[in-house]
Amino acid sequence: MLKKFGAVCVLAGSVAATGVWAVEVDPSLKDYKKAAGVEGSLKSIGSDTLNNVMTLWAEGFAKEYPNVKVEIEGKGSGTAPPALIAGTAQFGPMSRPMKGAEMDDFEKKYGYKPTGIRVAVDALAVFVHKDNPIKCLSLAQVDAIFSKSRKHGGKQDLKTWGQLGMTGPWASRPISMYGRNSASGTYGYFKEVVLADGDYKDSVKEQPGSSAVVQAIASDKYAIGYSGVGYKTADVRSVPISATDGGACFDSTPENAYAGEYPITRFLYVYLNKKPGAKLEPLRAEFAKFVLSKQGQTGVVKDGYFPIPSAVVGQDLKALELSY
Amino acid sequence: MGVIAETTQENRTPAAVGAAIRRTDMRARGEPALWVLGGALALGIAMIAGFLALVAWNGILTFIPKPIDVVTQADGTVTAGEPFREELFRPDAEVLEALTPEWRARIAAADGYTSRTLYRTGNFDLYGEDFRWIPDFTVTKRERPANVLFIERLEWGPFVGSIKSATIDGAERQIASLDDPAFVAAHRMSRQRWAQANDIEKDEIGAINHKLEAARLDLRGVELDSGRDSTDYRQAQARVEADAAVQRGNYDKLAVQVEDLRRLNAANTVTFVAVGGEEKTEEMAHLVRFYPANDLSFGGKIAVYFSRWAEFLGDEPREANTEGGVLPAIFGTAAMTLLMVIAVAPFGVMTALYLREYAKQGRLVSIVRISVNNLAGVPSIVYGVFGLGFFAYTLGGSIDALFYPERLPNPTFGTGGLLWSALTLALLTVPVVIVATEEALAAVPRSMREGSLACGASKWQTIRNIVLPRAMPGIMTGIILAMARGAGEVAPLMLVGVVKLAPELPVDGLFPFVHLERSFMHLGFHIYDVGFQSRNAEAGKPMVFVTTMLLISLIFVMNVVAIVIRNRLRRKFAGSQF
Repeated sequence: MLKKFGAVCVLAGSVAATGVWAVEVDPSLKDYKKAAGVEGSLKSIGSDTLNNVMTLWAEGFAKEYPNVKVEIEGKGSGTAPPALIAGTAQFGPMSRPMKGAEMDDFEKKYGYKPTGIRVAVDALAVFVHKDNPIKCLSLAQVDAIFSKSRKHGGKQDLKTWGQLGMTGPWASRPISMYGRNSASGTYGYFKEVVLADGDYKDSVKEQPGSSAVVQAIASDKYAIGYSGVGYKTADVRSVPISATDGGACFDSTPENAYAGEYPITRFLYVYLNKKPGAKLEPLRAEFAKFVLSKQGQTGVVKDGYFPIPSAVVGQDLKALELSY
Repeated sequence: MGVIAETTQENRTPAAVGAAIRRTDMRARGEPALWVLGGALALGIAMIAGFLALVAWNGILTFIPKPIDVVTQADGTVTAGEPFREELFRPDAEVLEALTPEWRARIAAADGYTSRTLYRTGNFDLYGEDFRWIPDFTVTKRERPANVLFIERLEWGPFVGSIKSATIDGAERQIASLDDPAFVAAHRMSRQRWAQANDIEKDEIGAINHKLEAARLDLRGVELDSGRDSTDYRQAQARVEADAAVQRGNYDKLAVQVEDLRRLNAANTVTFVAVGGEEKTEEMAHLVRFYPANDLSFGGKIAVYFSRWAEFLGDEPREANTEGGVLPAIFGTAAMTLLMVIAVAPFGVMTALYLREYAKQGRLVSIVRISVNNLAGVPSIVYGVFGLGFFAYTLGGSIDALFYPERLPNPTFGTGGLLWSALTLALLTVPVVIVATEEALAAVPRSMREGSLACGASKWQTIRNIVLPRAMPGIMTGIILAMARGAGEVAPLMLVGVVKLAPELPVDGLFPFVHLERSFMHLGFHIYDVGFQSRNAEAGKPMVFVTTMLLISLIFVMNVVAIVIRNRLRRKFAGSQF
């Protein structure tokens, strides 16, 4: 998973611009062009990580097509596959790829697999309180903080900040962990990559939203937690992460994410029900095109995530049998 | 038992008896009880008043324009922003070492604490952040220059900076002051064109799109009825296509109009420059309002304050609900609550009437009564799950299969919507109405019923003309309580129809006017969404207070209306009693 991401994104390494505001949309992405006579209603059910981006896309799409109705519900990635299967939603945003079992359930009803498009790049940040001076954490350390299984091979359970080498008043303070609830794709992805499918400790406080995780950390000086980098506020700091103990540390910047250096980077997906060989009807086709256009990807930047490079867009458009 | 009695008797010396009497005396006078009860009341009132004051204070202050500080730090960084809040903190040893001795002494004198300020810097498109903490000890200069503007835009949140130049009708010109008549006129013109383009898109193009969709569904209906190869289908197809061609022609004309307005607007731009020298060019049409934050007269502040309120109450949300207004949410909350009352009032009153007036009082009725009371204690999310499973999926799914087959697989009633939300909340609040109505019915004097029956009225006539009118104030009280509970409930609604962004109001000018199947926005959910789900939690906080205040006021207004109606009823019947 991680390797696959790296391979795709090294291609796009050149995309990342420099400067104060580093995130820019890939200039080779096409502008969205309005098509005639698109009307109807769309509903999206799924990830709350993608909730705001979906809303921004809906607003942008409504600007192009007044009275195209786009409704959005975001209660966790786990709610997307059932909604797609039941036909209650046309789009299922997910912050993780669909699992095999979910794919199978879908296939059982329709006879083919759902199609996923990659719509944004998200670096999953490990946040601490803004006054926390910690410089770097390795994946094994983060694993030993959050997990009781320690599948990354951490030798001891990390319970206090002192065990991470911090001194002074920090040394004796227990680490207070915040995470997402289990319906969330962020929960699942963190578990897969950081915990290597180990189990979370029972003392991880589960929060109902990504923003709630950040707010909890902001008000708890000895806290640590994870959520999408887009939810960062001035009250929290993202900790640079190294893939191996003692390895180089990389912060959750777009450059590091694109280059595949930041170890907890993922694509965010939108799934839809497309029969292979059949053309998508105009409404869904236009929405998918909009999402993958320059305008759509500007929405991604607006919400604090990183836009996807045009090479990936090309592949996904092909998967949908669409062209600009 | 016997032992205890004996001891008590043995202890009854005169002194003990006296003490017992004195103790009883104190209790008999009720002094301690008075203090406990009074204290409980005072505590309750203090908590409610404190909560309301907190919400109101924050809600009222949010829209007041704040000054902008331009802060220069020791390393040369210049930041401009609204001071948002301050806090004390304890800098690390490392940080302290790098400070001047003077600052170190000051911090040591304050027990290691110093303060820092959170600035709302805006300019998210330039900086990638909206807020920045600046510790006091890094500040070398803090000033409030008169020319810094706070600019509210349609996209990217606010911009803090000053005007560099402007382009009016394609010609660049310098703007001497914000009152420059050409500039003011150009901005007003741009905003008008923007609003006009929006109106065309929403109303006229919207109507065309609606017709096209209706035609498409018609065709699909024919296809389902008689198949693709039938003559009916071919005729319908020809008809629909001819019609669609006409509609598309109209659409093209309107689209050209909108294009023209947009093109004219593109020629009116302003170039702003942020405090760090970065430039940003915006169309005038995209500037909602801007004001010189540090050079604003009292009247100017009031104007900004009320214009913000007007936008909040009368506009649609923008930028994933973090900006703009909450009109659809106000509308959705009110519509859902009224619909709920329409459903719950007759249902609850009829149930109570049967239970109190007709049913034979016995074991079964007692069990029913206890069950109703227990229903009031079921967690509201359980009602949500029931509403989703029964109303939306089972009932709604069947309705879709019977009446809207042409729309499948897109569900019409088979998903959460206004109707299912109102019914779910009606179920949730029906115990309140039943209990209140029963109490009210029981309070009607027996003599009045008997009088009526003695005059020859039937049981139903007695209930309708004597019992119900007298019980009406009590019934209204029950409905008011139900309304208050329902309007503030969010958890079940998240399952049965409330969404983050509903593109259309549930009531509009297109047939059949009230769209019971549509999902809607709700103030309570809006609070949850802005507070816990939005990207920028910091900027969302004040909006949470404003929206909470609005929701409380909305419930308050609805209750006051109901109470006024109740008092009218009471007065009407007060004179006619014996």
